[in-house]
Amino acid sequence: MSNSLLTPELIPDRPSSKSKFKKGLRQWGAVFPYVILGFIGIAVFVIYPMIRNIMISFQDYSIMPNAANPWVGFDNYLRAFQDPNDRFLIALRNTFLNVIATVPVNWFLAIFFAVLINAKFVKFKIAFRTIYYLPIVTSWIIIALLFKYLFADGDGGLINYVLHKQLGILPEAISWRNNYWSAMVMIWLFHIWKTVGWGVVIYLAALQGIPKDLYEAADIDGADAFQKFWRITIPLLGPITLFVLINLINGAFGFFPQVYFITQGGPMNQTHVIPSLIYIEAFQNLKFGPAAAMGVMMGILVFLLTYTQMKKIGRQRMF
Amino acid sequence: MINYKRKWFAMLALIFVVILAACSNNGGSNGTSSDKNSSTGNTGTNSENVKKVTIEYWHTYSDAEEMVLTEKIKPLFESEYPNIELKLTRMPYEGLKQQVIAGVAGDAAPDLMRMDIIWVPEFAAQNALMDVSGLEGFEQLKSQVFEAPMETNFYEGKYYGLPVNTNTKVAIYNKSTLAEAGLTEAPKTMDELVAAARVLKEKGKYGMGVSGIHAWGLAPWFWSLGGSITNDDYTEVDGYLNSEASVKALETIIEWNNEGLVLPVMLGGEPGTWDGIISGEYLMSDDGPWFYSTKIAEQEATGYDPLEETVRALMPAGDGGSRSVIGGENLVMFANSKHPEEAWTFAQWMLSQEPQTIMAETGLIPANKAAADAMKGMDIPFVDTFVAQLETALPRTPIPQWGEVEAIFNLAFEKAIRGEQSAKEALDEAVNQINAILK
Amino acid sequence: MKTPLLHKVIVYAIVIAGALLFVFPFIYMILTTFFLGTNTLPKPDQVLSVKINFTNYVTVWNKNNFVNYFMNSVIVTTVAMFGSLFLGALTAYGFARFTFPGKELVFRVFLLTMFIPGVINIIPQFVVIKDLGLVNTYSGLWLIYIAGGVIGNVFFLRGFFESIPKELEESVLIDGGGNWRIFWNIYLPQSLPALGTLAILIFQGTWEEYFLALTIIKSEALRTLPIAILMFNDKYSTNYGQVFAASVIALLPVILLYITFQKKFVQSGYNEGGIKG
Repeated sequence: MSNSLLTPELIPDRPSSKSKFKKGLRQWGAVFPYVILGFIGIAVFVIYPMIRNIMISFQDYSIMPNAANPWVGFDNYLRAFQDPNDRFLIALRNTFLNVIATVPVNWFLAIFFAVLINAKFVKFKIAFRTIYYLPIVTSWIIIALLFKYLFADGDGGLINYVLHKQLGILPEAISWRNNYWSAMVMIWLFHIWKTVGWGVVIYLAALQGIPKDLYEAADIDGADAFQKFWRITIPLLGPITLFVLINLINGAFGFFPQVYFITQGGPMNQTHVIPSLIYIEAFQNLKFGPAAAMGVMMGILVFLLTYTQMKKIGRQRMF
Repeated sequence: MINYKRKWFAMLALIFVVILAACSNNGGSNGTSSDKNSSTGNTGTNSENVKKVTIEYWHTYSDAEEMVLTEKIKPLFESEYPNIELKLTRMPYEGLKQQVIAGVAGDAAPDLMRMDIIWVPEFAAQNALMDVSGLEGFEQLKSQVFEAPMETNFYEGKYYGLPVNTNTKVAIYNKSTLAEAGLTEAPKTMDELVAAARVLKEKGKYGMGVSGIHAWGLAPWFWSLGGSITNDDYTEVDGYLNSEASVKALETIIEWNNEGLVLPVMLGGEPGTWDGIISGEYLMSDDGPWFYSTKIAEQEATGYDPLEETVRALMPAGDGGSRSVIGGENLVMFANSKHPEEAWTFAQWMLSQEPQTIMAETGLIPANKAAADAMKGMDIPFVDTFVAQLETALPRTPIPQWGEVEAIFNLAFEKAIRGEQSAKEALDEAVNQINAILK
Repeated sequence: MKTPLLHKVIVYAIVIAGALLFVFPFIYMILTTFFLGTNTLPKPDQVLSVKINFTNYVTVWNKNNFVNYFMNSVIVTTVAMFGSLFLGALTAYGFARFTFPGKELVFRVFLLTMFIPGVINIIPQFVVIKDLGLVNTYSGLWLIYIAGGVIGNVFFLRGFFESIPKELEESVLIDGGGNWRIFWNIYLPQSLPALGTLAILIFQGTWEEYFLALTIIKSEALRTLPIAILMFNDKYSTNYGQVFAASVIALLPVILLYITFQKKFVQSGYNEGGIKG
């Protein structure tokens, strides 16, 4: 009988610490073959680099293989705040701006389109859903190239062409990449275009889950479309809205391709977010110490934010 | 149960192997890692050239240029040096610097690289590059190449590379627009150009060809007008970038812009430089030989003959003379190269006249002066002006911090040109920020 | 209550407009690939009046080992995908079904690692691969892809595994099978939908991965597709027609997979959060 190997927890509990230890060992023994490969992989390729990063953040790091790398305490961290151009603080601000700008719009569009597509009389729901989700499956790098192209300066860029030449909405063609606000708008539009489909899909599924009798009862009471929307749909979507918002916020925090491949942080380092700033500091300016320090600080920040979210919501499982 | 135990042991064995391998990097010694550069698996020896040595060369040549490299250069070199095999690796631009860094940090850098001149001081400062000033044959090579491109390899008293090809920008004029401005040949001075620009303004065209608010676009103008960035040693900015002459130069550019004489493209408007020159909306701009080589290559498809439709000339001279900016690439050797002697052999060879002349076929201007001269005889008619301009062209400041300095420079100029600050304020502030970085 | 025709029209109009908004950039991109001028920005006038021809596609396909790059991407991505799935499932099984001291602690530590931006990780990872002598090999690349993705995959699969009822194990136990048989015969088949969903996510991510592939793979013959696409950017100008032709070719496999298995794709986004870089 191989019971003891399979279900170690069935062994009757003996209080002595020695056997607890043995029990622990046995449990490890059972699970070992399954997790060991994963653990090694993680240890070598994830944990080790991360520890390296933390170490580098305290060193004056040189890329030469056998360099001395003297310890400099919190110098690299202070550097981030002493920058005459405040790039780290700007990147921080941009991160929050990105969240504030994209999350509400993303959320609203998601629910808006989902509700419309879900309307009873709309046919080809699956087709629409496929199309709306299409941008998400495509490669960030390629779409970044595409957006750079669409937003090109002058009337050569399609966006300028349409808004300026054809529709006359803009007084003159905007040089999108050369102004802070227009560049940010470009990044936001890029992100929203590429990710709104996700919210649409989630809400579509959620809407399917709302019992139809509620709507029928409302119809009997003479409610119109708007009333049904506000008093039935929205409240019932409460829990999933929370899920959507959390994910949207996390997504907005993690901008990298959105910024790096579109503006490279320009103009003048003003559109950077922290990951892109780290990349440039490390791989363009060869300043690994400060870059690592910024990485660690961002890690702490994200951890704190996520921790408070987790506390409020508990473990999320949505299927 | 038996199967279970066997699996256990297999796993353990695997684990040990992997752990051993992963731990070896903590040992710090690099001797055991297999030499990816050796073709037959033996590490090449320097003294006895009986075994073949492979040296790796990273480059970013375009398609056309790479063909010349693989079809002519490589066979020629290998026939002259049969014991050395040349391994050519083409790298993409995107993420290139990261690749170099990863290569250096992982002790897997190539032996040689054709590197952007701007990067050389940076990597030299990191001790990643080999100092060539003391190597045999260096002095002779130095005398054979253009001075200014050579200077881009300079760092703290030594040289860390050799220019392999160089380029600069000259003034390119649309022939018909030139006539419209009432000129029969290109203006020789800034004042003449400004006068022409004023005439053209009435006709809705633009004359002052500054192509963008960045060092590459502004430098020829700024320098020709008498501005300067640093002193001759590249150590001081205070008193240079914000000198009276520099302030005046910037103020002149601001005035041109306020008067509406400058190309819209400088502020990010339309049309682009090339399109503007081709259509005639722009009288001129400054650009490099690739304008001609690209347009000539497209001639069949587009019907546009750049040699017919444009006039080229040296940058119009201002208080600073006729100045332009140097670009190009340097040939560097990495400090951790396993075959420094063979690499140096190749470097010297690449700079000798014949290979330089061969590469010149692609339109790349050789750094070797004699080969550049010889280019005039080749069927590359546009090169003459560029070679002439090389005499007075200047490098952007060859210091490791140039990247950050340039960012400050660009920002200062942008603020001044957009009227957010006066020229003097902008330059003074730039000097302060740059000093903070240079510390 | 019947919906008035006007309402229907408006709703359809909006929904269709939205769909067009999402599709049009792709159409524009494809139109650009028919454009034959090089190195200048194709203007909308020109693009919208372009004649359909496949010159750029042919050029791109024959250029710079492009076909090789494409096949290389197929190989790299497929193996990475299966390797990741297997290792992820294996490890998730360990977490889902066993208890052992420190389990939750270890799991939390793993989750924590997802917080620090891994932008600079590439250097230590490269050094490790180099010390293993695996630079310029697909094995090195696979190691990083697979090992790097374990945590995310475990996070994804653990929940599924934990929801598989323990009763199913009884049949195996009765036959005298061990943990492994349970894994292989029960858990894997039961979670095929989840595995399929995860497979697609991994496929998407690996297919477009650029930086690691560029760092580890040095010889041109072994390079992958994203690198090929960015190689069309010359130092001084971009050949838009060709870049986008290459892009379209690169997008095709993913899009075809998507249209076939679109339900799976959508589910994957649903469960994973969809907004991954």
